[in-house]
Amino acid sequence: MKQLKVLFAVIIIILPFCKACYYDSEEALYPSTISSCDTTSVTFSGKIAPMLANNCYSCHSNATAAGFGAGIRLEDYADVKARATSVQGAIKHTGSYSPMPKNGGKLKSCLITQFDIWIRIGMPNN
Amino acid sequence: MHLNMKRSLISFLFSILSLLALAQDDLMNMLNQDAKPEINYTSATFKSTRIMNGHSIERMPPGQLDFRISHRFGRINSGAYEFFGLDQANIRLGLETGIFNWLMVGIGRGTYEKTFDGFAKFTVLRQSTGAKVMPVSVSFFSSIAVNSLKWADPERTNYFSSRLSYVSQILIARKFSQSFSFQITPSYVHRNLVETELDPNDLWAIGAGGRLKLSKRISFNAEYYYVANATTYLGQEVYNPLSVGFDIETGGHVFQLIFTNSVAMIEKGFIGETTGSWGKGDIHFGFNLSRVFSFKK
Repeated sequence: MKQLKVLFAVIIIILPFCKACYYDSEEALYPSTISSCDTTSVTFSGKIAPMLANNCYSCHSNATAAGFGAGIRLEDYADVKARATSVQGAIKHTGSYSPMPKNGGKLKSCLITQFDIWIRIGMPNN
Repeated sequence: MHLNMKRSLISFLFSILSLLALAQDDLMNMLNQDAKPEINYTSATFKSTRIMNGHSIERMPPGQLDFRISHRFGRINSGAYEFFGLDQANIRLGLETGIFNWLMVGIGRGTYEKTFDGFAKFTVLRQSTGAKVMPVSVSFFSSIAVNSLKWADPERTNYFSSRLSYVSQILIARKFSQSFSFQITPSYVHRNLVETELDPNDLWAIGAGGRLKLSKRISFNAEYYYVANATTYLGQEVYNPLSVGFDIETGGHVFQLIFTNSVAMIEKGFIGETTGSWGKGDIHFGFNLSRVFSFKK
């Protein structure tokens, strides 16, 4: 019984370490995505909508906004266009806008840059 | 004649009684010789398996299932419009149980980065007095967390290992008196994937936590982790997590009220990813609710 206990303890200690333990960084693993942020082909469907879907829809989709997102919907193009300035302030943590995403860090700087570009080129629905 | 008989009867009775008393003494001696000196293990160093955010030396005994509901609300300094953070809730649900009287395991799912976590905690040494004197209790804690957020960039080659992080802690605690316990927690956190080459994959931290009993049912708890090599997390400055709060014990429940600058409720999250600062008022109110179900017959 005692030996069984010791064996069990050893397995539990070792288990986490023999499973994948890597020393990766995004910088090293994905050199192209970090160094070259795609600033030329910024489209609503290609860059903006996926960014919103990944980071905002748990509270700001049409279905969840009433309950969790203070009624702010970011799913349809017209809604995003109408709120573009406040979204920009919220994700950049500037002005009096409530910083977003809540309780996490800021979005990746590339995503924020792409949102800036989309506003600058006139918020096209493409 | 009559009187004499009475006297002798009384003296006879007395001698019997004294004999009995002697025999009793012998019996006590025999009992004392038989009983081995006992080991008195210290119990209830902390009232819950958590001090505040971090684990305490305590574990669930076998046959008992702890259903934990933990909440951390938003930041108090977000103001009245956000109901001082209460509009926004982060939750962790956990199921934790004892396997042996030295091993406890648990699983959980938290809102913070949609993380699943599993842990094992086992007792190495128990504080005791009597035949065996041990000044401290020591446990070892090990956990794995799986971040289940959607990939930030689904088009690049993403690896499952990038979602994983590991934590190992040595919990060293001493119950100094009925009303005061203290714990020191050297900790190691490994993240498989970090943002830049400058961010360390390995984090080293040391935690300190204590419990001060205020009344029969209420105690004041505080916990602080010093993170030796924290840098930034997602472009935000990182602070050391400090939590203060109260344990309120009711029958079958331990209710912990917490004020903390960390929103995560697992080690991987509050060590090295705490972006709130007490100085700026980024304080989260929260609670841990623990309900223990017993399966022992």
